Amino acid sequence: MWLVFRKELMELLRDRKTLFFMIAMPILLFPLIFGVIGFFTSKAVEEAESKVLNYALIGAEHAPALSQAMADSDRFSRVELEAGADHAALIRSETLDFILTIPDNFAIPPLEGGQARLVLLLNDAGLNMVHQRVSELVEREIQQKRADAFAHLALDENQQQALLEPIVLEKQDVSDKRENWGEKIGGLVPYLVFILCLQGAMYPATDLGAGEKERGTLETLLISPIERHKLVLGKFMTIALAGVTSALITVTSMAGWGIVLSQGMAIEFVAEFMGAIGLIDFVLMFLMLIPIVAIFASMLLSLSIYARSFKEAQSYMGGVMFVVILPIVLATLPGVDLDSGWAWVPITNVALAIKELIKGTMDYYSLIAIFGSTAVIAGALIAFCVYWFNQEKVLFR
Amino acid sequence: MIEIKGLAKKFAVENPKKLSEQEKKDPRLKGRYFHSVEDVSFACEAGQVLGLLGPNGAGKTTTLRMLSTALKPSAGTVEIKGVDVLAQPLVARKKLGFLSGATGLYGRLTGRENISYFGRLHGVPDQQITDRIDELAALLDMHSFLDRRCETFSTGMKQKTAIARAVIHQPEAVILDEPTTGLDIMATQTVLDFIRRLKQQGIPVIFSTHHLDEVDELCDRVTVIDQGRTRFDGSLGAFKALSVGSLHQSFLSTLQPGE
Repeated sequence: MWLVFRKELMELLRDRKTLFFMIAMPILLFPLIFGVIGFFTSKAVEEAESKVLNYALIGAEHAPALSQAMADSDRFSRVELEAGADHAALIRSETLDFILTIPDNFAIPPLEGGQARLVLLLNDAGLNMVHQRVSELVEREIQQKRADAFAHLALDENQQQALLEPIVLEKQDVSDKRENWGEKIGGLVPYLVFILCLQGAMYPATDLGAGEKERGTLETLLISPIERHKLVLGKFMTIALAGVTSALITVTSMAGWGIVLSQGMAIEFVAEFMGAIGLIDFVLMFLMLIPIVAIFASMLLSLSIYARSFKEAQSYMGGVMFVVILPIVLATLPGVDLDSGWAWVPITNVALAIKELIKGTMDYYSLIAIFGSTAVIAGALIAFCVYWFNQEKVLFR
Repeated sequence: MIEIKGLAKKFAVENPKKLSEQEKKDPRLKGRYFHSVEDVSFACEAGQVLGLLGPNGAGKTTTLRMLSTALKPSAGTVEIKGVDVLAQPLVARKKLGFLSGATGLYGRLTGRENISYFGRLHGVPDQQITDRIDELAALLDMHSFLDRRCETFSTGMKQKTAIARAVIHQPEAVILDEPTTGLDIMATQTVLDFIRRLKQQGIPVIFSTHHLDEVDELCDRVTVIDQGRTRFDGSLGAFKALSVGSLHQSFLSTLQPGE
């Protein structure tokens, strides 16, 4: 078995495609994604912020200060509206970026004139900073009017605060940080790791089963004096190792690049979060991953050996992804937890258990039951894989 | 000695609707089963070379696969040096050197690594593998490419490596499925010389081929299989005596009418 494992591993590590998918892609993919998204987002924001906005004012006479502030800014350019012009059409055709309508009561103190409702007509599709930029100017007016009103009413600072917010609902969270973060991001961790394990195992599985068939090496291997189960287990372990390695590299890469790209901001968060999770919980999470990887590897190897060709195997792999992704997604949904019967759903239960381990709220007796049941399923699938490898109708289709 | 008696193999037809018209007319198709091999018997003594002949689809490869333990026969017996292949497949595999129709090499391993891997699978000690590879490399003229990855090999290089791999464990019987197909004259000659050498060592060799000149040059016995049955099994002399003309005529005379 170890002989087969060593040989498969050596061959796998000499395959450029495998190295690319297993190592290079996870390391390079995330900085690339983060970099591209970051570059285009910051460029778009910068453009939106610095763009000179063409605008028109209706009722400018009611807000001379606001009107003047806009006129003084070199980032706004006023356009006079013609009588009877179609306002919406002017916005859609990008002749104007916005039209601000100021009501009659704007100039009247609020205690007399009531609330003044300004209307900002704009095309809000896509990234634009129109509302934010206009708000900044309007905010000065709001502050001024509020201060005038408070002065008129002769309110002290406490009264002003109470008037602005008569009732405050203060949240006092009894959950610790670990539980809080665990609830928020704990569901994503198994989702990410499971999918990456599956993805990392797919190519080697295809190569070690259907690939051997296609290249004609399988027949020679089958007539070697080695028991069939040792042959299968050697291949199975290679696939499982590839899956776990790929997942670990990807997660490490994500964490590493996250830290680098956030220029250290993430270090504190990651360190605090990781520090809150005990070593035993990390070990338990890894242990839970073992039967899951075994399930994936045996499923993939069984399908791969059934396929007549590499291409046929690849088409089966797409189906596996769909079958596996469903129970994992379930575990990320709100309301889905181990107490509500989900402990009986394979894969979902492990994802939920990992989430509970991250939160630090895991019932360890349940964990043993989940590990046990998943290990039984994994064992059954490995046994099926060995049985499958002994079927002539599968090997010589 | 390799001895086969009443060998048969049937396969369940997955989807009868997908069979071609020719396949539907094949008398070996009976209900949902295709009887690829129905009754094949022959024997190859120590130091003999047996040429296994037959048209395409006759059942040669299925017969050889049953001999090699890759397939289990539906009926009949196979013995290699007194070992029942069905009862003791692992023991039989250790006694057997088998070269399948496809050379079946791992492209990302070197020739030496391919041969070593199968040597280890056969339980050969490392030092013995090293010595044996040197010996085989000299015999098959492989030294110049032995440490290159197999994905860069020519057909001849691949076939030589595959043959070396098949005999790394010094088998007591050798089976070669079309070992010279696709080879140039020089490589073919090296392979034929190698078979001759096995014969001199007293190893029974069965090889399937479509080249009757190779049969004439090497074989002591000839077995012709057609439509899953043995149509001829005898000495080369008896095979030649089937017609006054060429081996080609002898071969055609053994086949069923309509072939």
